[in-house]
Amino acid sequence: MAAILATWLPFISFLLIMVFTRNRRRLSGGIAVAAVTGSLAGAVFLLVQNWDAGKPIHYASRWLIAGDISIPFGFLLDPVSLLMLLLVAAVSFLVQVYSFGYMAGDPGFSRYYAFQSLFAWAMMTLTISSAMLQLYVFWELVGLSSYLLIGFWYERFSATQAGKKAFVMTRLGDVAFFIGLLLVLLHLGNVEILEMNSAEAAVRMNSGLLTLTALLIFGGIVGKSAQFPLMTWLPDAMEGPTPVSALLHSATMVAAGVYLFARLFPFFSHSSDAMTVFLAIGTVSMLLASTMAMASRDIKQVWAYSTISQLGFMIMGLAAGSLFAGTFHLTTHAGFKALLFLCSGVWVHLYETNDVYEISRRGGRRLKTPTVCLVIAAAALSGLPPMSGFFSKEAILSALAGLENPVWLAAGLFGVFLTAYYAFRLIFIILFPRGEVREEPPNHSLEGMGALYWAMGLPLLVLAGATVVLGFLEIPLREFLSGGTAAHPSADHGWLPYISAGLAALGVGITWSEFGRRAAPQIGFVERIPPLKELFTQRWYLDHVYRWFVNIIIDGFFSKACTKNEDRVINDSIDEFCDFTLDSGHLLSFLQSGKLRYNLIVMFAALALVALYFLLP
Amino acid sequence: MIVPLGHIFLLAGIIFSMGLVCLVAHRNLIMTLIGVEVMMNAAAIAFIAAALRWKLMEGQAFVLFILAVSAAEISLGLALVVSVYRRTGSIDPDRYDILKW
Repeated sequence: MAAILATWLPFISFLLIMVFTRNRRRLSGGIAVAAVTGSLAGAVFLLVQNWDAGKPIHYASRWLIAGDISIPFGFLLDPVSLLMLLLVAAVSFLVQVYSFGYMAGDPGFSRYYAFQSLFAWAMMTLTISSAMLQLYVFWELVGLSSYLLIGFWYERFSATQAGKKAFVMTRLGDVAFFIGLLLVLLHLGNVEILEMNSAEAAVRMNSGLLTLTALLIFGGIVGKSAQFPLMTWLPDAMEGPTPVSALLHSATMVAAGVYLFARLFPFFSHSSDAMTVFLAIGTVSMLLASTMAMASRDIKQVWAYSTISQLGFMIMGLAAGSLFAGTFHLTTHAGFKALLFLCSGVWVHLYETNDVYEISRRGGRRLKTPTVCLVIAAAALSGLPPMSGFFSKEAILSALAGLENPVWLAAGLFGVFLTAYYAFRLIFIILFPRGEVREEPPNHSLEGMGALYWAMGLPLLVLAGATVVLGFLEIPLREFLSGGTAAHPSADHGWLPYISAGLAALGVGITWSEFGRRAAPQIGFVERIPPLKELFTQRWYLDHVYRWFVNIIIDGFFSKACTKNEDRVINDSIDEFCDFTLDSGHLLSFLQSGKLRYNLIVMFAALALVALYFLLP
Repeated sequence: MIVPLGHIFLLAGIIFSMGLVCLVAHRNLIMTLIGVEVMMNAAAIAFIAAALRWKLMEGQAFVLFILAVSAAEISLGLALVVSVYRRTGSIDPDRYDILKW
């Protein structure tokens, strides 16, 4: 019951806002926040109620029946989904509160809150879906609402382009996902998550097919979670309002991909070949995105790249066989990534620029709350103890250390080092401005904002608190996720935390010498090597490859063929047909006298004759 | 029935023929419309007579429909006449020959 209530409240608020209160901004915002508060309460209630429940709770009713296949619609509450539900509700709640400040005065305020509600509804229902088809429906709804929110400022051409790009690129993966689902449906007869995860699935599908299906479904995850090679939509998604980015990058949208992986974890782990591919994809995305982040000047873009790389980390952890590591990192990442974006949002809102150097020169560090929170979050991102990121990264690394091939562990550790480097590069640039410091007043004065500033500030404090505390909840969470049985980490890699913390510290140290010191030039080693810098800022030319592909294959071949077909075949045949009709009409018009009265006389005479014929015996 | 059924049908027939003549004989669209209207009313009279004769309500109900339809028809028809007059400057149907040549 609470589940239904929690997930459908935002949908009700979406309808209410769209239909009734579009012109009344405060009321719409209030409705949306009230609905999401209800959801949050429901999620907390469910989590507390089911904390000790070992077995997953499963309600389902039939939604569609077609022949032998029935499609159920229901809820599946198990530890993973409960945790995720709480996460989504909490982050949506904080982001919506924050948006009161950020979006104040925007003409689309009501629309913004309506879309936020739609987003929350789609994502929460996705997390507790009991069958894959239901999950797929909400998966697409999440894609739709993120499209709407990325292109929220639709007057800007780049925003609509970014929205379109996000939608199209995630669709590419979704097609693969859907084909995978159909394969499962054909061979298992239904797509219940519980049945797909049971050991029986592996028996009824042979191993080659299982690998193929797993890879296809993983295609959806690649699109949604912006992994290599479909990663380039995420940096462009920065065109939306900053709170949207925070939501998109932490608990919804991109997290949906990783969540799907966690949800079907037993299914995927039937196929070890597929798991190796996942591991490779996760590693490649993680490293590529980290290097891209090293050369970017745009504050939001740096965090976007870091999201890709952290998602890569989660996929690595899951693919290495540790459900707990991936889910735990997903949880902590949601906290600190939302914090990073919301902090950056304060500056972006006040100074109306995304450029790090610009923010720094204009005295960004004078805003105490966001600066402190940003440092906390960046420390968590780079995995410095005692922040939450340290614990979750350590869990992933120990899962990687359990693998036979040491390459993965090395790549993971290298990733930790890179992460620390790019995160603190940004921090030091903001903390220690170079050049003439203008200390200009912000475009919006703080005093004028009053309560709205605190609507933005309070979520920051809450998230910062969560970032610090979450790491220490590792053991209860581990017990909760493994269903009550206290599972001990099998192999003890006692040296691993020291190595990873050491590498992170090394990354910070290098950044300090390049950006932090008093005499530091604030030019990173990447920028000193022009080809490397070019490669990183151009995102490894991935966009160019796509552009080239679209130009040559799609535009050059398919599109041309279609145009020809339209010109020659469709257009010409219709022209011929029309000409023929015209000519024959011309011929027939000689039969017509065009005199209305004579026509009428003939008609009535004919009628009279017919009547006579029938009346006379 | 005081009046025999045949008389009423005769009346209806006469009115119908008057309408027909009006419809056919005039070179004026408005008169054509009036002719149609008269013919419909003749039909309505026949319906009422039949309803009285066989004590059935359907005939009377049908007359209500005829009234509604003729009201709709006349309003549309007049609108068309006005529009066609504005386009061609004439309400003589014999002079509308754009489609022919």
